[in-house]
Amino acid sequence: MKHATITEAGFIDHASLRSTAKPRGRPIHKMLVSFSAAYFTGALVTDLVYWQMPDVVWERFSIWLITAGLIMAGLAVIAYVIDLLSGRQIDRPALPRAVGYLLAVLIALFNAFVHSRDGYTAVVPTGLMLSALVVAVLILTAWVASALANRHRVGA
Amino acid sequence: MMQALKNAGSAKPMRRLAALSAAVAVLALAGCDDNGGDPRTQIGANPVLPKLQQYLMPPIRIAKVVGWGSETPTVAQGLQVHALATGFEHPRSLYVLPNGDVLVIESNGPKAPIYRPKDIITGWVQWFAGAKAKDANRITLLRDTNGDGVPKLRTVFLDHLNSPFGVALVGHDLYVADTDAIVRYPYQDGQTSITAPGTKLTDLPGGPIDHHWTKTLLASADGSKLYVGVGSNSNIGENGIGAEYERAAIWEVDRASGAHRIYASGVRNPTGLQWEPETGKLWAIANERDEIGPDLVPDYLTSVQDGGFYGWPYSYYGQHLDPRIVPQRPDLVASAIVPDYALSSHVAPLGLAMYTGNELPANYRGGAFVGEHGSWDRTPLNGYKVVFVPFSGGKPSGPAQDVVTGFLDADNHARGRPVGLAVDKAGALLIADDVGNTVWRVSSAHPGSSPKPGT
Repeated sequence: MKHATITEAGFIDHASLRSTAKPRGRPIHKMLVSFSAAYFTGALVTDLVYWQMPDVVWERFSIWLITAGLIMAGLAVIAYVIDLLSGRQIDRPALPRAVGYLLAVLIALFNAFVHSRDGYTAVVPTGLMLSALVVAVLILTAWVASALANRHRVGA
Repeated sequence: MMQALKNAGSAKPMRRLAALSAAVAVLALAGCDDNGGDPRTQIGANPVLPKLQQYLMPPIRIAKVVGWGSETPTVAQGLQVHALATGFEHPRSLYVLPNGDVLVIESNGPKAPIYRPKDIITGWVQWFAGAKAKDANRITLLRDTNGDGVPKLRTVFLDHLNSPFGVALVGHDLYVADTDAIVRYPYQDGQTSITAPGTKLTDLPGGPIDHHWTKTLLASADGSKLYVGVGSNSNIGENGIGAEYERAAIWEVDRASGAHRIYASGVRNPTGLQWEPETGKLWAIANERDEIGPDLVPDYLTSVQDGGFYGWPYSYYGQHLDPRIVPQRPDLVASAIVPDYALSSHVAPLGLAMYTGNELPANYRGGAFVGEHGSWDRTPLNGYKVVFVPFSGGKPSGPAQDVVTGFLDADNHARGRPVGLAVDKAGALLIADDVGNTVWRVSSAHPGSSPKPGT
């Protein structure tokens, strides 16, 4: 974790020479990604509660959390594309991180449809499994990206 | 060496991601919808019920509204049709007073709250299907003074109502079923407008959700009781079982006291109530649940048994369980009654008229006309017509026949959609068309040719 922080700090110093559209030195898309990840994780929690206590209010929380996560993800993609087009250097390793994140968002999109079903099967079992899968993919992506970043830093 | 390690390190998760992608793709395919089968296999006492499916994206197939222009509906042989009156605002139901005056109930549902993102989408779909017309909240009176089927007088009979649907006259008491209450108005014979304030007989389940807002009304033969169709507050319980209190039921309301009891339950949306003329039994049409397939669940026409439970939301057509409801109620499901007569899936029956008149050809006597508003979630479209179900010995005795069609044009665009039905004093069939904003009158093509008892 310490290595990752150092990596980022180094990157910021380097990149900030060429970019001004970066509040507090952090790309906007990364902030938006964090927001969406938090929403998707929240949806897993409310799904788990609904599974144990099927009151519709928890299902409604879930679908709004997933929707909010998807809106944040959409904004993150837009911000990311702007970053790319403006020629800014993107965090390494960008590819696994982007692929993992896009996969999570894609599953979350399917999950939004499943959660839009009426009644119990909006959540149990498919919706709940998809919510868990989204979080698992996000954690895996973060772990792989951070492992690769360390190796990259060490190897470079 | 480092490079190789790096590749190996990233290849494994990438492969895992690929497997997950494949799983997602399979899921997407599983969500693809298929077309509905031949509706004729789902008409009558023993409908074919396919296996239940659940969707990723529930099918939506609505008919674009084009209006009638100079066209009129197509009627079965021996019948003719003309527009009794046009220019209404979303006419939903009809009632014929003893003097022959026709009441046209112009109404639309209250604004639906948004509980889920899906509710926003549903709103758009309804707007596209012409179901978002302004709520006129009004009853218009049409009077034909010489019996030629052309009204000479048109007045606003009652105004400032609250999503009215059912009307019933008992003596000089005119009952209007608003979406949230039954209100009584004093009515004098020949009156063309009521300005006197109404008196509430009883509250009915209304907002804030009010998913199925129409409250159909029928008086008992002796006038002591009113029967009210109260639809469910959801498709299949997605607003919570608490929102369904005393809904999806047919109420029996005591006219003297306003007290009510649940006459029958488990009927998702009972939209038409009629007395079967031969046996005097109560019959209803009902709209069944959505989103489990193009051929599930067939809407139906059924006799209504006192104390009967008809399945919703736990099961359909007897003991076919719906997995979308947890916790289940095996005790109730065990007693669930199989409806008498399936009308096929998603036709949306919203009008019922048992025919006892003499104007139409004799083969229509004693049977039931059903106004099928038409499907919005099935391919190909189903309904969008008025059918006739022949009765014999107090039971349906054959397949439903198309009587009034042409509500869809050749491109499957909607010229209109039939809703409430009534039989006028002369015996002609009246049809409210809430998209064409017209009331159609169907009469015999050869007036006077049908046998008239006692003449």
